[in-house]
Amino acid sequence: MENPGEGTRNGGSFAVSCEKLSFTYPGSGRPALSEVSFELRPGEYVGVVGPNGGGKSTLVRLLNGLLRPDSGRVRVSGRDPATEPFEVRRHLGVLFQNPENGLVAPFVEDDVAFGLENLGVSRQGMRDRVARAIRAVGLEGYERREPNTLSGGEKQRVALAGLLAVEPEILVLDEPTSMLDTAGRREVLEYLKALRAEKTILHVTHHLEELAGADRVLVLNGGELVADETPERFLSDANLLRENRLVLPVVPRLALELGLPPARLRTPEELAEAILARTESGTRAR
Amino acid sequence: MKLELKDVRYVYAPGTPFEVEALRGVSLIVDPGEILGIVGGTGSGKSTLVQHMNLLLTPTNGEVLVDGVNARSLKKSELRRRVGLVFQFPESALFAPTVEEDVAFAPRQLGLDEEEVGERVRESLRALGAGELAVRSPFALSGGEKRRAAIAGVLAMKPEVLVLDEPTAGLDPATRQELLALILGLRRAGISVVLVSHDLDEVAEVADRVCALEEGRVRAVGTPAEVFYREPAQAPVTVRVSSLLKGSKPEIGAPVRFRETLDALRALQGV
Repeated sequence: MENPGEGTRNGGSFAVSCEKLSFTYPGSGRPALSEVSFELRPGEYVGVVGPNGGGKSTLVRLLNGLLRPDSGRVRVSGRDPATEPFEVRRHLGVLFQNPENGLVAPFVEDDVAFGLENLGVSRQGMRDRVARAIRAVGLEGYERREPNTLSGGEKQRVALAGLLAVEPEILVLDEPTSMLDTAGRREVLEYLKALRAEKTILHVTHHLEELAGADRVLVLNGGELVADETPERFLSDANLLRENRLVLPVVPRLALELGLPPARLRTPEELAEAILARTESGTRAR
Repeated sequence: MKLELKDVRYVYAPGTPFEVEALRGVSLIVDPGEILGIVGGTGSGKSTLVQHMNLLLTPTNGEVLVDGVNARSLKKSELRRRVGLVFQFPESALFAPTVEEDVAFAPRQLGLDEEEVGERVRESLRALGAGELAVRSPFALSGGEKRRAAIAGVLAMKPEVLVLDEPTAGLDPATRQELLALILGLRRAGISVVLVSHDLDEVAEVADRVCALEEGRVRAVGTPAEVFYREPAQAPVTVRVSSLLKGSKPEIGAPVRFRETLDALRALQGV
């Protein structure tokens, strides 16, 4: 693993920095992103939420050089993705929403190795990295399976392994769990948690409960960055949620309706315990 | 229409070293006018199962019956009109310059006159709350709008059963809730809906019955309360919370939907 701060040329100490970033799709009358500015420090875990069409996916594409901004500045490890896209993609890996579009090789292990083909990694080095990445997403035994026989969730894990094999220090996750079941989701989130110590992570999601442990949550709506908050503040701000078409997950929503603190109760177990504690103290009072 | 799968087995890549048995004898009925939720882990066979409902996949063994008649004896085009299948990420198949032309594509293949085609296009867009999208380009729509346009294309065939494979995946929470409300509206219009979803919380809100798949077999089928309370570890959040309280507070009952659960929890607190 490379040092997360490495490659920060031009004196920048940020893993990612965006300055007044604007982009309008050709033929569209409305900017997809409008003067968006923020920074990611090395090692930060930052969530991005907001309605469909809010600008989340456009931001992701600007970060890895798939799109060039109309104005403003992006730097990834000090580099400009618009002029050095290939270099940037060694440092910043993107896991896109739908893995169906990204799997290319006949077998799982070839697919995971695909991103390494042009990086000048030795044969043995490739084998080691592929094996490590496959292990990391719990797909041991799947090496010789054909991707088209896998379920959506399994394909997503193959795509994640392919990303990890390149060993970028920044991970951008564009709704990485949208096709996973509860167990698969928990597994991927668990693994992401383990990566937090060594990677800078930008996590785009519609599942607010996934961001409970994030350092910050950015809200993009109508192409504008409308909030940059801690998850606790964010979950307690009913107006902010409503204005951005966000719905609280079931646990905090039940808590809120029952007059319990929504930001502190994350799991069904914690909620049940709080309810029980209250009914018992109520009984005693009577 | 009543759709029935009888002991369906399906093997991918049979006779090769990569042979995978995706369905291992699944029997299931879709009753007329119900919303049947199909849940299960990744790789449990959900998508394989629903592709049998209009014989996009033909069973390796077993059969599919439409009102008691073997589906193989029906014309495929007729079967696929009556059982509309909406794939995962259906918006990737949008292709026409405007939404109304896209939605009109399939009904036009039925040989209907233009007036009837136009009527169906308007009707299905309206049913999905997407009337205002008719003249827009499908490529300039947001994710939720594209999803509705794609579903409208299948709805315009006037299916008796609408099969939706992960219809809310990738949609924002508010759009997801709107789509679920539309699905309830379709049932009111008499269409049966098969809803495949890995989001147990949303299945809990709309399903009349639930079928839980596990490794290509039916683990449980019944009302949401029957299926979810049998295995609370694999249940929606509402059921998990209620199950945790059931030991000391049996009066909580077996609520499943959010509203029911909230009422039961309030009653517990004496509110």
